[in-house]
Amino acid sequence: MIIVTLRFFSVLREAFGAGVAEVELDPGTTGQGLIELLAANNDEFAAIQSVVRLAVNDEYVELDLQLSDGDEIALITPVSGG
Amino acid sequence: MLQVWIDITDQPLNASEVHSFLYESNGGGVCVFAGVTRLETNGKISTSLSYEAYKSMALKEIRRLADEASQRWPILRAVVLHRIGTVVVGEPSVLIGVATAHRGPAFEATRFLIDELKKSVQIWKKESFEDGSQEWVAASWQDLD
Repeated sequence: MIIVTLRFFSVLREAFGAGVAEVELDPGTTGQGLIELLAANNDEFAAIQSVVRLAVNDEYVELDLQLSDGDEIALITPVSGG
Repeated sequence: MLQVWIDITDQPLNASEVHSFLYESNGGGVCVFAGVTRLETNGKISTSLSYEAYKSMALKEIRRLADEASQRWPILRAVVLHRIGTVVVGEPSVLIGVATAHRGPAFEATRFLIDELKKSVQIWKKESFEDGSQEWVAASWQDLD
């Protein structure tokens, strides 16, 4: 298994009830696999999963990227600063 | 030599410090934009906006925008400050300023920086209304306003 850190903000922080979570994933899990896993466990996430972008270690990544042990993964919804 | 002042802070933003920093560029045109918590939105009265940021990524994105602006306009100094936490009606949540030799590029680069910040920097806001309700400000990746 690999362990990654998830970071949630705004609507997703409230949907998951935490800003940070550590999760265990099967080796070889992709970004898309993580999104599907989260969607299966959280209806609010499932409803907006199509607009979520993944950032790994502060850089946006394609969803076919295989996640690595120790990755810090931010789930970024459309921004609304300013 | 471009000098850039970037920050994401939970402290109130100080416009006079922003002006002073820009005036020290010795440029002839300084433009400062303030984004302020508005009283009324779609007929509802607001009390505050509450901001949160993914700070490490947001700071990198602001730096990238400043670099892009400096490649497009002859910027002497630039400032991008964003507040996080609660910002009540009448207080600024964002201050953006640019100093250039002449006024034209200062206006254009300031407009570019606030427009792009709203589209891409990893900051989110929740609006609180006078009636006690709260809601995350809806956005899409295509929003331009």
